[in-house]
Amino acid sequence: MRMVNLRVSYNARRVALGLAVILVLGFLLLPGQLQSVFQSIGSPLGWVISWPLQAVAGIHDRIADIWGRYVALQGVEEENQQLKRELDLLKEQNGQLREASVATERLSALLEFKKQALPTSVAAQVIGRDIGNWYKTIILNKGASDGIQSDQGVITPAGVVGRIVKTTASTAVVLLVTDPNNAIAGLIQRTRDEGIVEGTTQGQARLKYIPLLSNARPGDHVVTSGLVGGFPRGIPIGTIIRIDKEEEALFQSAELSPEVDPNRVEDVLVIRSFPLPTEGDRLGVPKPKP
Amino acid sequence: MKALIYFAVIVGLVPVQSVLLSHLSVWGVKPDLGFVAVCLIGLIAGELDGLLVGLALGWAMSLFSAQDLISSAILKGAVGYIAGLVGRQVVYLSPVVLVMGLLVVSCVVGLVTPLALKLSPQQDLWWAAWMVVLPQACLDAVIGGAIYWLLWSRLNIEQVMSESRM
Repeated sequence: MRMVNLRVSYNARRVALGLAVILVLGFLLLPGQLQSVFQSIGSPLGWVISWPLQAVAGIHDRIADIWGRYVALQGVEEENQQLKRELDLLKEQNGQLREASVATERLSALLEFKKQALPTSVAAQVIGRDIGNWYKTIILNKGASDGIQSDQGVITPAGVVGRIVKTTASTAVVLLVTDPNNAIAGLIQRTRDEGIVEGTTQGQARLKYIPLLSNARPGDHVVTSGLVGGFPRGIPIGTIIRIDKEEEALFQSAELSPEVDPNRVEDVLVIRSFPLPTEGDRLGVPKPKP
Repeated sequence: MKALIYFAVIVGLVPVQSVLLSHLSVWGVKPDLGFVAVCLIGLIAGELDGLLVGLALGWAMSLFSAQDLISSAILKGAVGYIAGLVGRQVVYLSPVVLVMGLLVVSCVVGLVTPLALKLSPQQDLWWAAWMVVLPQACLDAVIGGAIYWLLWSRLNIEQVMSESRM
């Protein structure tokens, strides 16, 4: 039989029960207030955890890089057993340079895009994925100390990635465009019909609330409408692959193939601010000459 | 010492869960190491430790997820507390029984979670049960069972349990 110190365990049990009751009551009575308090208290903890998180992400990338190169070299070795060691070395160097070149190209494109379109955006790297299975999110290596806040849009040169839902001092969580809990105001580029883009459980996206009279068709591009939600107008979201029109429904909906594959995103831009279009801009009213 | 171990568990689990476990996912579902850790800590160290580590771990994990902070902390805390209560009632716990227990508790927690999170109507209970809850419960049970078996085969777990509660 186990030895148990009854006095201590009784006290411990009382303390535990008391804490549990207080927290459950707090949860039931003040959910919103408690959430914001804990979120702000948690920022330093998030900062502490972000160090091992970034370290593990860095080691992970390094190992993935080495593993990829090792597998590639094994293939080359099998195919070219008679080749000299120098050639192998050159190939390895070539692989490294090519990898560096691809990274440079990707970052240059991002930088160019940032300069041209969004002067007030922040470049960030993806360092992790969602901790649970209920949401599709990515974790960025920039946070509140870089001016990132909730509801800001996240994009790549290819299109919309998602929007910020949570920040700590040095990290930010992005809810992906393919998450069913995300909603972004969208616009069919050809027909100019507006709707709401939501993610689906299959990892795609869906444009909802398209007017019944719209002549949208597969192949049409959907972009952000810029009306609400942290995105300027015209950022690509996806391409329509199927139109769903139900009988007696007030609206039709369309299944989209997202422009960005969220599982392969490495570098992103967070849109910190952008000039909201005025009603005149939206309607195309000419500006008076000075 | 205990506090240091718990702090290391909390700080270490978040990077492992968010960076490395994406590669171990089965059909896009990954195990919840936080749930496993809280269960084992509750079982071995008692309900107070289980509750406090559960609350702290749930809170820390929610900072790096879209999941609601309060529900994450409360659920993990409750799991730790219940595991502590269960651990107090049992004298001998074999790895097989633990695996079955983890499977059942993970299923129950998994079914409560979507209700607490108020997810999109697309993610209904049926979808949650088949696509997330059951696969995750299986993974949690296997990983928890493996960790417990390692502890069980190398340590006198009953003695550790009684000592850690003194």
